[in-house]
Amino acid sequence: MTTVISTRGLQKHFGRTIALDGLDLTVESGEIHGFLGPNGAGKTTTLRILLGLARASGGEATIFGRDPWTEAADLHRRIAYVPGDVSIWPNLTGGEAIDLLSRLRGGTTDKAAYRKQKERLCQVFQFDPRKKGRAYSKGNRQKVALIAAFATPAELYLLDEPTSGIDPLMEQMFNREIDQIAGDGSTVLLSSHILSEVEELCDRVSIIRAGRTVESGTLAELRHLTRTEIAFVHDPAREAAVTAIPDTHDLVIDSGRVRFTVDSDRVAGVLPELARLEVRGLTVAPPSLEDLFLRHYGDELAPVEVEVRA
Amino acid sequence: MTRLVVLLRQRIRRDRLQLALWIVGTALLAYASITAVYDTYGEEQDRREILGVAIATRTILVFRGTPNGVDDGAFAFFLLFAWLALMGGLMSTFLAVRHTRAEEEQGRAESIAATPAGRILPTTATVVHGVLANVALGLLIALALIANGLDATGSFVWGAAIMVSGIAFLAFGLFAAQLFRTSRGANGISVAFVLAAYLLRGIGDAAGTPSDDLLQVTPAWPSWLSPIGYGQFTGAFVENDLTPLLIPLAFAAALIALVFGLQAVRDQGASLIAGRAGRATAGPVLSSSFGLVWRLNTSILLSWTAGAVATGLLATSLSSVVDQAATDAPQVLETLRRAIGSEASIEEAFVAVFYGIVGVLAACCAIQVGIRARQEEAHGTAELVLGTPVPRVRWLLEYWIVGTIVIVIVLAAAALAGIAGAGSASDPESLIPNVFEAAAAQLPACLVFLGLTLLVFAFLPRATIPVGWTAVGVAAILGTWGPILQFPEWLVDLSPFAHSPVPAGGETDWTGGFWMLAIGLAAGAAAVWSMRRRELASGG
Repeated sequence: MTTVISTRGLQKHFGRTIALDGLDLTVESGEIHGFLGPNGAGKTTTLRILLGLARASGGEATIFGRDPWTEAADLHRRIAYVPGDVSIWPNLTGGEAIDLLSRLRGGTTDKAAYRKQKERLCQVFQFDPRKKGRAYSKGNRQKVALIAAFATPAELYLLDEPTSGIDPLMEQMFNREIDQIAGDGSTVLLSSHILSEVEELCDRVSIIRAGRTVESGTLAELRHLTRTEIAFVHDPAREAAVTAIPDTHDLVIDSGRVRFTVDSDRVAGVLPELARLEVRGLTVAPPSLEDLFLRHYGDELAPVEVEVRA
Repeated sequence: MTRLVVLLRQRIRRDRLQLALWIVGTALLAYASITAVYDTYGEEQDRREILGVAIATRTILVFRGTPNGVDDGAFAFFLLFAWLALMGGLMSTFLAVRHTRAEEEQGRAESIAATPAGRILPTTATVVHGVLANVALGLLIALALIANGLDATGSFVWGAAIMVSGIAFLAFGLFAAQLFRTSRGANGISVAFVLAAYLLRGIGDAAGTPSDDLLQVTPAWPSWLSPIGYGQFTGAFVENDLTPLLIPLAFAAALIALVFGLQAVRDQGASLIAGRAGRATAGPVLSSSFGLVWRLNTSILLSWTAGAVATGLLATSLSSVVDQAATDAPQVLETLRRAIGSEASIEEAFVAVFYGIVGVLAACCAIQVGIRARQEEAHGTAELVLGTPVPRVRWLLEYWIVGTIVIVIVLAAAALAGIAGAGSASDPESLIPNVFEAAAAQLPACLVFLGLTLLVFAFLPRATIPVGWTAVGVAAILGTWGPILQFPEWLVDLSPFAHSPVPAGGETDWTGGFWMLAIGLAAGAAAVWSMRRRELASGG
């Protein structure tokens, strides 16, 4: 395996603001790497440096072993990029924007194949390419960038919160496309602030916080960091049995429901107990990134920073 | 009522700097120009002569006003009123669209419409805001006139005329915002309307009937179609008659009533003129980043070229009229020569003045191409292009090249139009090389503005738009008005337009042109080269 992306001690300052404070990131060839962090952690800044749109203030970054700032244009022949907040030209139609970006990337030499692929993607994402850019919603602008990225092959995909603004059904389509390009051997770096999204797609994950990498590893390795929330209807007759369940944390009984958390790698061990108790109305909520940060780093995430998934 | 006050305060707060600059700037322009006028044309004899010249040549009236005697106030009214009304008109239409269609397009109007303020009240607030802005403008201009020692009654009539024509334009801006789906479309048609109003009254003045003493003109019917024309009918300082203002007021009231009617029945975000469905695949132009830059600038190019063609046509088709006038009144030639700072023949001088205007138009077009680079960057679309194998340096270089191409096209179109219009001249053959030279002479100054805009983009990206427009605006005023109003030489020399070569008597001094060419190319090259080290500065 070769290293596709490597950063060591990457720093970026904007005046007095420190956006990146010694970020380490390694992405190996052929892997789908989740780049996880709350909003404002430095994900977009990192991707912009990797793409040569911004210059690092310190540390080093390489893509395919080369400098992303000085060799940007050359590297971009091998990279597809989807920005976090996609803007498109107000007076160009979506179809024109997709064609333009694909042609600029040089992926349209086989015209028939490209046209077929573009049409397929427009259908998959239910996208109308005839509207002018200014008429598209945020989700549809996102689709322009996604279709342009997937329409021509690339060795590396840099995706900055690619599913923000598109609906859950389209997200499934997106996951399918990612599976496909991963099957072709491409490398993907996917930034997100939603743990479950990354869990579904990624082989490895790097978690960043305040411009630094705090964890990096496979999802199995990270399981011990997170806790799954379990809740069911409270039955006063069995209260003693409930409190006796092993490995539970933060148990509360509130509004007629029992709630507790379990280390994510221990959930399977708790389930037989729940079956024995014949609990009703059982819900198992996947761990969230916010919980993880709260638990391990004592972060008090202000409510405004926590984005609720629509 | 409290909601209306909240909306109104939000508008005033948002516009406080912009409107303050616009209103105070216009009033200062009035003050400074009148001082300059009295320095230049202090003697009654001078004024008699220049009025005689203007009435004889007619075309000068297009850019001035209705001659109404040689008294201090009336003479200033003749020279300045239409200009000030034009400024007030542009202020009003931009204001109207900014707070209506632009808000709707951005989606902000939806948030407001969802509150108890509803869909109608924001428009009411914009009407009140626009009327207040025009009252302030009229008042401040009146005060500027009084500060110059002019009679108070006439000054207030002048101010009222500015205010009423501004309100008429405000109403049109609001109406255009109802018609079009985009603020761009609404602004475009509104600016065209204001310019047409200016031009109609210009034609009305030029085609009017002069009095026997060549000191007054009764405008022809086109003036009756223009809010600015009705402002001139007040005859400030002489007749001091406010009744003509009732017609533009009635026009404004009717249009605003129509606006409320349309607003009441249409959906949020909808428009009377619908957008069209576009093409699903890109044409061959959009195959490269250069093609994209070209495509993004074609509509800009078309509009400035149209202006340049009209100006070029006027330059030569009117030169025969001027020739005649110069024989009758030698004063004309004197004024024209002063404007271009050269000893040229009457036709050459006239062509030089008009192609000076063409130069300003071409410079504006080039600046807009430079500004487009900044808009692409701020809007986030530059990021998409630079995410593909397009090097940063090449990206800006392409804006530079397209900027240069648009200058050449605007100048060439004006030159061709000039040749087409030369048919009526006394000696068309001699005029043709003159026209070509006069058009080519504008190239260096335009390249200076293009280079300057790109340089600001490279080093102070957020200042690109204000610096670009301010530079060309100030330079145009200094370069075209400075010599006539006898501003100090060093001040006029700050304007690149003042250094554009002037073809005269078969000989042209190209020294200034070469210097500006060198400066323009150096600035552009420095800007493009700086992209090696420059990051994208998105946002703001």
